[in-house]
Amino acid sequence: MAITRRQFLKRSGVAAGAMASAGLFTNPLVRRAFAEIDDKYLVVIFLDGGNDGLNTVVPSGNANYNLRDAYQAARTLGPGGLQLSSGQLAGTSFGTDANTATPIALHPGLSGLKYLQTTYNKVAVIQGCGYPDYNLSHEVSRQIWQTGYPFSPIQNGWVGRHLHDQYTLMQIPAVCVSNSIAPEFRTTGTNVLAISRLSNFRFPYDRDHNPDNLNKDDAFNLLYGAAEGSAHALSKVVGSVGKSTLLATQSYRSLAGDWNSARSDTIKNSYIDSINDYGSGIATRLREVSRMIYGVETGATGVDCHFFQLSNGGYDTHSDQGTNGANEQHYGLHRELGDAIKVFYEDMIDLGTESRVCIVVWSEFSRRIEQNDSGTDHGSQGPMFVVGGAVNGGLYGNHPDIRANSLDDQGNTNYTQSSDPSDAFVSTDFRDVFGTILLNWVDMDLGDVQALLPTDPFVDPDHYWLTQNFNMGFL
Amino acid sequence: MGDKNSNLTSADAHQLLRRTGFGARPDQVAEIVNRTRGAVVAELLNFKPTKFKPTGKSGYVAHNRWVKYMIVKSSKRGKAGTKKGLRGRQIALQEKLVLFWHDHFATGLSKVYSVKLMGRQNLLLRQHCKGNFKEFVKAINMDAAMLEYLDTVRNHRFSPNENYGRELQELFTLGVKDFLGAANYDQEDIVQIARAFTGWGYDYRSLKVGFDEFDHNVIGDADDDGVNPQPPETGDKVIYRNHGNFGSNGISYVPVEGEGATEIDNVIEVILQHTDTDTPPRNTTARHIAKKLFQYFTHTNPETSVIDEVIGASSFDSAWDIQALLSALFVHDAFYETGELAPFDSDTKKSVRWPIDYLVGTLACLNMRLRTGDQYVDGQDGGTAYDYLGDMGQTLLDPPSVFGWDWEEAWISSFSTLARCSFACDIVTARGGTSKSKRYLQLGKVLDLAALDDGSMSPNAVAIVDAVLAAMGIPGQLDTAQHKALRTYLTGLAYPMSDAAHVNLTPDFIDEKLRGLLLLVLESPAYHIH
Repeated sequence: MAITRRQFLKRSGVAAGAMASAGLFTNPLVRRAFAEIDDKYLVVIFLDGGNDGLNTVVPSGNANYNLRDAYQAARTLGPGGLQLSSGQLAGTSFGTDANTATPIALHPGLSGLKYLQTTYNKVAVIQGCGYPDYNLSHEVSRQIWQTGYPFSPIQNGWVGRHLHDQYTLMQIPAVCVSNSIAPEFRTTGTNVLAISRLSNFRFPYDRDHNPDNLNKDDAFNLLYGAAEGSAHALSKVVGSVGKSTLLATQSYRSLAGDWNSARSDTIKNSYIDSINDYGSGIATRLREVSRMIYGVETGATGVDCHFFQLSNGGYDTHSDQGTNGANEQHYGLHRELGDAIKVFYEDMIDLGTESRVCIVVWSEFSRRIEQNDSGTDHGSQGPMFVVGGAVNGGLYGNHPDIRANSLDDQGNTNYTQSSDPSDAFVSTDFRDVFGTILLNWVDMDLGDVQALLPTDPFVDPDHYWLTQNFNMGFL
Repeated sequence: MGDKNSNLTSADAHQLLRRTGFGARPDQVAEIVNRTRGAVVAELLNFKPTKFKPTGKSGYVAHNRWVKYMIVKSSKRGKAGTKKGLRGRQIALQEKLVLFWHDHFATGLSKVYSVKLMGRQNLLLRQHCKGNFKEFVKAINMDAAMLEYLDTVRNHRFSPNENYGRELQELFTLGVKDFLGAANYDQEDIVQIARAFTGWGYDYRSLKVGFDEFDHNVIGDADDDGVNPQPPETGDKVIYRNHGNFGSNGISYVPVEGEGATEIDNVIEVILQHTDTDTPPRNTTARHIAKKLFQYFTHTNPETSVIDEVIGASSFDSAWDIQALLSALFVHDAFYETGELAPFDSDTKKSVRWPIDYLVGTLACLNMRLRTGDQYVDGQDGGTAYDYLGDMGQTLLDPPSVFGWDWEEAWISSFSTLARCSFACDIVTARGGTSKSKRYLQLGKVLDLAALDDGSMSPNAVAIVDAVLAAMGIPGQLDTAQHKALRTYLTGLAYPMSDAAHVNLTPDFIDEKLRGLLLLVLESPAYHIH
């Protein structure tokens, strides 16, 4: 495995300034190992299905434009009604929409995020994120978010393109807590692992003959070692990737046990409570992320991953969406998310890494403003969350214009860009959020971020994303 | 120096089979070894494309039907010299070509959405796979899936969409730059070619492709709505003022009979006359296509002289006969040059096997089939062809972008390595069934177990490892250290004791160690490279 900058500093004790002349930079493999993210971590959480943004970040009262009235007209009371009352929202008030002065609250189920914001001021809520010419297909819209390319298909994801630029096939910088590589992490030229459960992550063996596994490992290492040591370029690649993969299956698997024996009961129980209370898949997966971060921090052999991805399903709430009842759908989904992030964040505080961890939460679209019988259909712009020790908490972006006569023919809010900053309803392009993370968290150079997330190939400045704003201020 | 009259050595035969088919099986090697390159290649290419077309209610179903077709058809076995064996080799080559063109004219479900249109395009690729390249591109121009994928359906009279005009030149014909590094076209050429394709579309119900003359941008056309912020393209429809050796006045692609349906055919006629900046100038498209085919069938870094030789021998730059080009390529020394060498020296030129080649080739060599319907491997973890190929990075009918798949090193990553090994392990642990069922691994059907353990107690580890390598089509492709590692694995003894040992091929030993040896061969680096 390639040595990371942090490990190098630990082992050699030299100051960073002295390293430029150390000659390491002349080795192309090592040079790229000094990745920009350094010792920080990025966690990407995907809410799969299209989270209802309007019942996530809610106008809790009227101000200019009377958004609360519009909300109450679109989200009804009574059986199947989705309206969250001002009283229900009182405990999760989150701030004031800058341009309309509307008081904003989070869904009561997101009490975990409200707690983190009140206690630490480390939760950024970015309202109304979307892209031009929105698509209502889960698949298409998801693909647009994952690649950051609304207008042409492209192979690698927005994180994956960064990984491609910064890492080699000698490294494993990223892990998806999943059975497959998430498209936003899809890449070439470096390695992303998909590990749904660390304790089950293993190299495939013939389980009818387990005692023979060690013999197979020996032979595998000799086969791949010979290829790695050969003079043939392709064989070298296959050999070194194979060897580091076998090593990874061995080292990652033990991380769960290592973590279990090292972490306090309080921390362990907080995950278990979150998992038990709402069957939280997010808490289950964030615990795996915590285990991997713990592995990196404690120098586990072959473990040096800094990018994580996980997703949670169930957000496609066409019916029985519910409001704030303990057993209602959307409430449960929000408790799952908010509680899990709270548990994870406090775990990171305990580990002393909270200032080096950043979480970003997205969904492929929001939902229709006007509800149907008991749920909501597919929509356009919705909120994103960014949480972490380096985050400047608060409300960002503009609440979408949800007034009935402002909606488009489909009943969705319009994506608009405008050169006029006083325009109360200018949308936030999701690419500005990702770009802000790449620039200010991953510490890419501005020019590289601009190239990674190019503007739309059109000319209408009120409708398309032609101006990149990668300094949104939340990091 | 060899030529079409040279006899195929065993290494040559393996190279030809591995590259033009899916794996090199001993029975296939026996059919062609010691015959002349020319005779074998001529019979191999002498087929009429089949009418297979992947269909289904979802991309998943169509994908697996195509994989099944490749497995079943290319694993046909016949006695040496019979038509059945030859037919299997021919269809394997046909599918290898369809895969090449699927990558070249990359079109994918993630934008086209219609399985039906992708199936039709797949049939079109098959019909033209070794036909006339010029006719092929003309047909692709009017393929509905392509019209959708590269936005010809969004290319309108007053708002031309340049996507197809660009990729037609960049990917399908000329390439961005010629062999000397000079640009082959510029933005003006893209814009002018985009104008030719305005008005084309297809009916969403009947899927019929048609031309709307009122949506077609004609010579001198001007925007009359006064609001479109982007001025429409106007002028003479002249291209290549600065490229292709057409002179400083360029060339008009509008045929004498006027603008419309024949206009886009004529665009292709013009592009295929484009020559590069070499001295003397060479046909740009012929070099681009011949080089890419060479790279696909041989390795990434061909000598320019080799490319020019196969073009010269086939007159591909004027006749555009793909079959003739392939005939020239498959008898050329450069094609056989590295067949014998194992992938260990710096000058050995090889390629990374595509995931589909890895999957189909393994099943074909082991004479196995997948479960009917979902194309599932009945191994200990199990999975469908769609799952394995997705994890290996090659979901058919849905290449990652207009550039198709990235080849060579890009196929390799930790995750794809695990995916290949998982597939291999599922194959090796596919136990059970009757001796007739092809869904399970029957080692006795691909290895002569009686010959490998003749009861004489003589040393047999070397022979067993060699037999497995030969069965999987890679004899001689492991270096000494790797071969020794397998002998040690098989016998449990370090070298040289391993070579003096005799292993009894008891049922238990076969189930543990012979399956284990096969697993290691399927996982070995040399099996991923050919």
